[in-house]
Amino acid sequence: MEFTVKSYRFNPEIDEKPYYKEYVLNDFPGMTVLNALMKVKAELDGTLSFRRSCRSAICGSCAMKINGITKLACKTQISSEIEKFGIIKVDPLGNMPIIKDLIVDQEAFFDKIKEIKPYLLGKKDYIEDDFKALKDGEKIKQPVYYKTEFQTLTGNNDTPNCILCECCYSECGGVVANPKYLGPAALAKLYRYSEDPRDNDKNGSRLVNGSKPAGMFDCVLCQACEEFCPKGISPVKTIVKMHEKAIKNSITFSKGAKHIIGIARSIQETGRLDEIKVAVDSVGISGILNDLPVAIGAGLKGKMPPLRLKLIKDMEDIRVAFKDLNLEEKHD
Amino acid sequence: MINYAYYPGCVAKESGKELDNSTRFIAEKLGINLVDMPEASCCGGGVIDGFDHNLKLYINGRTLALAEKLGYDILTICNTCTLTLSEVNEELINNPEALKKTNDYLSKIGLKYSGKVKVKHLLYIVRDEIGLDKLKNAVTYSLDGVKVAPFYGCHILRPSSVVKFDDVENPSGFEELIKALGGEPVSYVRRTKCCGFQTILVNEVTSTSLAGNAIYEAQQNKADVMVTPCPLCHLSLDTYQGVAAMNINKELSLPILHLPQLIGVALGGSYAEMGFSRHNISFRAVMSKIKQNKLK
Ligand code: SF4
Ligand code: SF4
Ligand code: FES
Repeated sequence: MEFTVKSYRFNPEIDEKPYYKEYVLNDFPGMTVLNALMKVKAELDGTLSFRRSCRSAICGSCAMKINGITKLACKTQISSEIEKFGIIKVDPLGNMPIIKDLIVDQEAFFDKIKEIKPYLLGKKDYIEDDFKALKDGEKIKQPVYYKTEFQTLTGNNDTPNCILCECCYSECGGVVANPKYLGPAALAKLYRYSEDPRDNDKNGSRLVNGSKPAGMFDCVLCQACEEFCPKGISPVKTIVKMHEKAIKNSITFSKGAKHIIGIARSIQETGRLDEIKVAVDSVGISGILNDLPVAIGAGLKGKMPPLRLKLIKDMEDIRVAFKDLNLEEKHD
Repeated sequence: MINYAYYPGCVAKESGKELDNSTRFIAEKLGINLVDMPEASCCGGGVIDGFDHNLKLYINGRTLALAEKLGYDILTICNTCTLTLSEVNEELINNPEALKKTNDYLSKIGLKYSGKVKVKHLLYIVRDEIGLDKLKNAVTYSLDGVKVAPFYGCHILRPSSVVKFDDVENPSGFEELIKALGGEPVSYVRRTKCCGFQTILVNEVTSTSLAGNAIYEAQQNKADVMVTPCPLCHLSLDTYQGVAAMNINKELSLPILHLPQLIGVALGGSYAEMGFSRHNISFRAVMSKIKQNKLK
């Protein structure tokens, strides 16, 4: 079968702007996108630049956008792409600056991995907890879930299997929203270490640092990391587990934690999501004032939610759930 | 008439009432009987398992049990409600421990869940249960000449291990529906990306760039209107459109419709019936164009 590879091309040293170049190839059984690119480079155009090494979905080098979705080129079959899209359109990874053609600058990604301290903390080097969420000597409460339960919950327990391929990072909505956001791979690692009983994290500093701005509460929950990880890891599920663990350990200084608690309390009180209460709980009155132009714009259109919400029918049922789980608001 | 246990979610009952109203409008025209569940609670807005995973199971298990008691599948009109209810349903069906725990709670409030309910979004109920031919036949004002940008958002597609309505890499349900209404679907990359809603309160400014980028791309591709199956996306795309424009430093002015509003217009709904005056960006110009396409 004859097919076309349409590749993003850009060499900042000579090109004024990026362009696409097309190459026509013939496939062979089992041909991958990486096979195709290597064929282009060997036979048609030696200037096409891309990263690759293992050719067997292990090293994580060959991630790129294939027909709009970030995948490993060496793990992606030509036949299935052609069947679905009729072409092989390749672009460099998203959320990263482009160096040349399909090669991106990965520095920010690896800085973020380093930032979460991806190693077991020893006796001496526990992370400074500048928020002092826990008192001296106080220990973080252990996982709300046992490992096996987490395994059934996510279908995997494989965060250590991450190959740092950046597929998740390239698709991550959180990084688009906030380029400083740590991103899925780093946060999945943070989870992996925060759950490790050998880790000498004396004062919950991993969760505290992870709760800072641009940390785990900047996830927009778009689910792209779980969907597109070639190793079956679900960074978003680990992020949500950390949300739960942080809140259960009273590490609630972040707007994101306050937002989640606000929603839970609104449900506890009315059975519904009270948009105003949640906004006030998450960002405070000053935050609301910042948002006033939006609020007024919406208000004029009759969009403001009602100030007092009616309770749902059989509201008592919901209170029973909170009570059963010992989740009622404690005023201390 | 097909019966569904109707789960509009919170936004459609509060700031997004026009979504609830337009859903009821098209349901009647298409022979869908929406059975209300006044006892149903909020699903937890997509974040409740960050508070307590069991709470997510209990309150949504309760909603599923209410529908099971009625004997109907659930019809949703919000992406996040769809995903949350589907996730809980999957877990209760596949994890006996979770089901037992949840049923222990449900027994205290006189309910029981056995896993019989399916959770379906309106978009795919119209495509799969009503059928696009029937929809086509019901059209009284064709969307002929109107370029419609479908904005799927996240939770109606991802994770595809849980929400299995469409092809997550290249979905087509929305486009097929737009064509059935006589409109022309606009193809653009960000149709399946995130709207940024979940962090609008956390990162007021930057998170609107997600919505802004999508609107800008649709505009560049000559869209007259954008349509979304999710009221949370609608808040990002319409209510925050001005903030998004400032944020990405581009001029944005694209009317954003809820899915049933688009269908409603094609089925003869008026500007007032569809509640368009509740939106930030006016739909008037496009609406008058559609009103010239009267079929019957
Ligand atoms: S779910 Fe969160 S971490 Fe995963 S891709 Fe989306 S924003 Fe990024
Ligand atoms: S989590 Fe998955 S997608 Fe992300 S870097 Fe690791 S292996 Fe790649
Ligand atoms: S070349 Fe190593 S993962 Fe593809």
